[in-house]
Amino acid sequence: MAGNLWEVPANFPYVDPEKVAAAQQGDALALDRLLDELAPYVRRLCARIAPAAADDATQEALLAVFRSLPSLRTPEAIMTWVRSVTVRTAIRFARQQDLAVVADEAMPDASAPSPEKLVDIDDALARLPAAQRVVLVLRTRDGLSEQEIATALGIPVGTVKSRLNRARAAFREAWES
Amino acid sequence: MTYPAATSDIDPVDRLSILAAALPGAAVGMRRIAAPFDAVWQVIADLEHATPRYEPGVARVRVTERHGQFLRLLVQDTAGREDAMEARLRPGWCVMQSGTIVIAFAARRQGSQTLLAHLEHRRPQPSAPGQNQPRDRDAARAKIDQELRVIETLAIQAGTEA
Repeated sequence: MAGNLWEVPANFPYVDPEKVAAAQQGDALALDRLLDELAPYVRRLCARIAPAAADDATQEALLAVFRSLPSLRTPEAIMTWVRSVTVRTAIRFARQQDLAVVADEAMPDASAPSPEKLVDIDDALARLPAAQRVVLVLRTRDGLSEQEIATALGIPVGTVKSRLNRARAAFREAWES
Repeated sequence: MTYPAATSDIDPVDRLSILAAALPGAAVGMRRIAAPFDAVWQVIADLEHATPRYEPGVARVRVTERHGQFLRLLVQDTAGREDAMEARLRPGWCVMQSGTIVIAFAARRQGSQTLLAHLEHRRPQPSAPGQNQPRDRDAARAKIDQELRVIETLAIQAGTEA
């Protein structure tokens, strides 16, 4: 069973800016260590936003992060930047998955997820549409403020608020069903 | 609707792709080696004895320090020049670098065979901008392919002797 959904966890892992700067200069061992530190966070975020495609989303997000690493101007801001890149990548995979689920459910032999299979919070989250799932994950699991979520997703704060409200209602419905 | 949990570690071959993404101009080659993972990795991990057999520019490798996965090496090329390298070595993953070059290997089990990926990258030299011309990618790939073939031969021998 997963933990309390509404618990706000500690935010980012600390990454030494000097290590980031060395990695930006093409120091392969610094890149290797940086990957050690970033990968667990990126994987966790991808698993929450795009649970059915977590491995692929993680790989794509890490590729995007490392490909663009030299363009990061402030090494101190790496985790905010990594979060933004990861969220955008994971949403893309989650939406593809949502479309695939819709297509599957149109098939005569497809079975909709039943409440009996709803075994934990992650299952309930996975049943939300991607747009609702991502705001709920960022708010409750990663502890972002509504303004931070708006910045990460590039949407107005008002949209974040309304999506959060819809997501919480949908989550409760899924959880209590 | 329970999804399979994500594995805790990145697959080494995927890891090498990520490393390559951060090293513009890096050359990467891959080969399915007709030998089991342990035999292949026995060759890669034997830096002192195996490297001079598959890397044509290297005459000698000496491990000067070892702290768990982290090593320091002294590499002598065929012209007699010595270069210090740092390395990280563990099963399925090896990355080595000096001030001028990065070398990496990654291996994935594929049944009784092994997928081996190999990266080579010349590090940009800020003090010598004239020497930062992009390498001939085809030549670099051909060199990597040749090295992978030699490694396969050595791994098959290692598997036979085991």
